[in-house]
Amino acid sequence: MLSQLWDLLIAFGRASNLGFGGGPAVIPLIKIEVVERYHWMTNSEFTDALAVGNALPGPIATKLAGYVGYQEAGWLGALVANIGVILPTALAVILLARVLMKYSNSPVLKGMLKGVRPVVVVLIAQTALDMGIGSFPNLITWGIALATVVSVFWLKLHPALIILVSMGFGLLVFR
Amino acid sequence: MLRKIWDLFIGFTRASNLGFGGGPSLIPLVKAEAVDRYHWVDNEEFADSLAIGNALPGPIATKMAAYIGYKVAGWMGALAAIIGTIAPTIIVVVLLGSLIVKYSDSPELQAMLKAVRPVVVVLVAETAYDMGKKAFPSSSTWGIAVITVALLYFLNIHPAFIIVASMLFGWAVYGRTKK
Repeated sequence: MLSQLWDLLIAFGRASNLGFGGGPAVIPLIKIEVVERYHWMTNSEFTDALAVGNALPGPIATKLAGYVGYQEAGWLGALVANIGVILPTALAVILLARVLMKYSNSPVLKGMLKGVRPVVVVLIAQTALDMGIGSFPNLITWGIALATVVSVFWLKLHPALIILVSMGFGLLVFR
Repeated sequence: MLRKIWDLFIGFTRASNLGFGGGPSLIPLVKAEAVDRYHWVDNEEFADSLAIGNALPGPIATKMAAYIGYKVAGWMGALAAIIGTIAPTIIVVVLLGSLIVKYSDSPELQAMLKAVRPVVVVLVAETAYDMGKKAFPSSSTWGIAVITVALLYFLNIHPAFIIVASMLFGWAVYGRTKK
């Protein structure tokens, strides 16, 4: 049992800390650990786990860690696998945040942040573009996008509301 | 203090449980909570948290939670924000996993996901637009953006490298001028 927990920690820690680009970039690395290295699941079981994760909201990597960890070693397994996913990078972020807060008035740091902000804008725009591929299979989905633009920019509606309304709409129209 | 920790937990829970499409789909929702609702950080600090998060590996949502949570209420704040981000969906995955396997192909769920995807795309694009409003104070910052696009799309350079390189560039070019 202990060695199983250790394996979960190492496997998910390794996958998460080698995956740049957020949770979705971590998925193939998790698959290598879970299916190929430790044989915790077969390929099709992993596909099921991914389907479950995609059906639910929230970050995908932590849901996979919860699902796989629980199957292998119960709640403790789910916890340990998630610690592997989150802890190292969360600690790194916090340490960097401390530096940022401490030196927030230094011209050097201000210069670095001024240099990086345009990059972040492009990266987020790219994320939107990537997500857009396959998200517009027909005219109605374009209509939804247009309605969202109006809701966000002119009506200033909260994104949560728009998400919930769109899901209700989908249930009525696309089923 | 307790109040702040509770707000962090609730704010990140709400963002996480409405974000369909993995961590990146949470970005606009976290922004709605952290910038617009609770004013924990302003637009630029939010962009900074994304820059640092993108420079490191692992899921983006938990890194944003750690950064913002720590800034607002220290270690406990980071913990509360992370738990809010991950706990509810993990509990659902574990408890209802086998049930969801059965229903993940259901036409109802697929219909809802189909309708929510265009919304998520627009929300993420709007976040880019919002960040962009203050990210381009000079023409050289536009140059950085153009170069970033070129590096990403034509040379397939990894984003983490571009982030670090742009920071070094900013240090060298903008960092020397005093105030």
